[in-house]
Amino acid sequence: MVTYNTVLRGENMKNSNNIKWRKLDNSAKIFPMSTGQKYSSVFRLSVVLNNKVNPKILYEALLSALEKYEIFKVRMKAGLFWYYLEENTKAPIIEEENEYPCKYINPKANNGYLFKVTYFKNKINIDIFHALTDGNGGNVFFRELVYTYLEMCHPRDLKQEIRRPRKIEYTEEDSYIKNYSKKIKTKSKNERAYELKGKKIRLGAISTIHQIIDLEKLKIECSKYDATVTQYLTAVLMYAIYNTNYTENKGKKPLKICVPVNLKKYFPSKTLSNFFSYIILAAKFKNNNLSNFDEMIEFVKKEFKERLTEEEVLKVMSSNVKLGNNFFIKIIPLFLKNILVRIGYLEIRKHSTITYSNIGRIGILGDYQKYIKYFIMLIAPDPVEKIKCSSCTFENKIVFTFTSILNDNKIERVFYEFLINKGIDVTIESNGVLDDISRKIK
Amino acid sequence: MIYPEKLNSKKTEKLLNIFIASSIILALVLVLINRLTTPDIPWAAITNCGIIYIWAILIFSIKRNTNIAGHVLLQVIAVSAILVYIDSRLGSIGWSMSIAVPIVLMVANITMLILTLVSYKKYIKYAIYQLIILILSFLPLVFVLEKIIELSILGKISIAISILNLIITVILCFKDVTEAVKRKLHM
Repeated sequence: MVTYNTVLRGENMKNSNNIKWRKLDNSAKIFPMSTGQKYSSVFRLSVVLNNKVNPKILYEALLSALEKYEIFKVRMKAGLFWYYLEENTKAPIIEEENEYPCKYINPKANNGYLFKVTYFKNKINIDIFHALTDGNGGNVFFRELVYTYLEMCHPRDLKQEIRRPRKIEYTEEDSYIKNYSKKIKTKSKNERAYELKGKKIRLGAISTIHQIIDLEKLKIECSKYDATVTQYLTAVLMYAIYNTNYTENKGKKPLKICVPVNLKKYFPSKTLSNFFSYIILAAKFKNNNLSNFDEMIEFVKKEFKERLTEEEVLKVMSSNVKLGNNFFIKIIPLFLKNILVRIGYLEIRKHSTITYSNIGRIGILGDYQKYIKYFIMLIAPDPVEKIKCSSCTFENKIVFTFTSILNDNKIERVFYEFLINKGIDVTIESNGVLDDISRKIK
Repeated sequence: MIYPEKLNSKKTEKLLNIFIASSIILALVLVLINRLTTPDIPWAAITNCGIIYIWAILIFSIKRNTNIAGHVLLQVIAVSAILVYIDSRLGSIGWSMSIAVPIVLMVANITMLILTLVSYKKYIKYAIYQLIILILSFLPLVFVLEKIIELSILGKISIAISILNLIITVILCFKDVTEAVKRKLHM
């Protein structure tokens, strides 16, 4: 008998005329205003199972997961000043995957839901609009979906495997507001970043290349540099870009890598809404004397150390919160905010070359693990950040993913060859868009 | 394989280039026919506008991930209805059925053919829409048989393209089309 965990319902959901609603968190406010077909602000989590997915069971599992996590059972509505989330009474939709990943989720074609569950052969995907939650919150909901699906598929096998009868406590609070500091002053000196150059893939196609890396061997390599896995992979990424796109196009602007940070590591929070910040590593290759990998990894380690202190993280977070909390910004009508944000965002986006997000280990309980091969995370590329990178770990596999709209995969290839040359086992999976090159890799 | 099969970027490039070249050749051929047959009526200009219009719709739909075939069908019906209405309001001269509608149908047929070829291994997705457009393509013949209009040169080209389209589709996906027809039209 599988016992389901009890759930503490969201606290911040307001109730007016029986329709529950809640404000968007501070980070989420910007997404509906800046999102469109080109900038989807969608990320995807996938799990590759050992058996073919049963869509009927998957749908039942989704309904069950939604009952426990009502925070996801919402639709976006426009108010006079801000967008907000309202309880969605419609049924969710699941369908077989037939499009490119991380595409814009059209709420009208999705019963208003801000996430979309799809499946393909052995794989289950969830595409999530960032206004709903961040990678951490998405991971929590996705794991619940996977757990429930596996329990429904294998009721006998998982009979003994009882998930801990603990309360899943979560809130929908805006942890930014709760934790930011009004007093902190920040001097933002933002220089435009180097933009990856090259021909784009035609007709809105997205290439995805997954590099499935042996974690144990990777860790051995990391230890040689006294670096964490994230630091090491960030340095490899920097090395790959520098030796391909940057040098070939005689880049002059700094190469900036944006690394999202889970704020729950720094501040107490049980929110499933967005609660992340970011650090930006700006590599000026000549000024910083960065020409080989050893120098690059030392640079990355130093930057991580300096920027990932509580004080620095608080600074970045507070400056962003203050902007969203500004009285004069608050009173601008939404239609005007939409226009202003879209214009402003055109400039803001130019301040990073590439994003690399590592959501870390996806912990799955005991007997459930035998049904799972690995997990994948993907982030939507856009016309400015033409490649985005992400990774997640399951057991001894870390899957590093490139999602790209560039019509060549030199960066991906150099990244792969670098790891292989270090004696780390890497296998490739792709969606075939740039398959002629990835086949050569294989 | 953990993703549905998608067209390789190089193949997409090649196909797009072929279709762009075909569109240009078609436009030039139509201008030539226009010059040689009815130089007083510049209908080739309208056909070429139609080709540009369909390209715009096609790219817009693909990028926005909408049901392109449904979009095309809707456009064909709406544009044709408007043209016939305008014609009737101007005194039923007959230009809508002898010139405008065949052009619309011709361009729609070519678009459906492109979609069928581009949507790799997913011909079936567009089959039913293609069949409806095909049936619509033969509608001007009814007016010809009823002697309401004469069969224009454009009408002939339009019907020829429809038949060619049908042959290619049948060759590509006969089994799939019959299954789709059975499924959609079952009583």
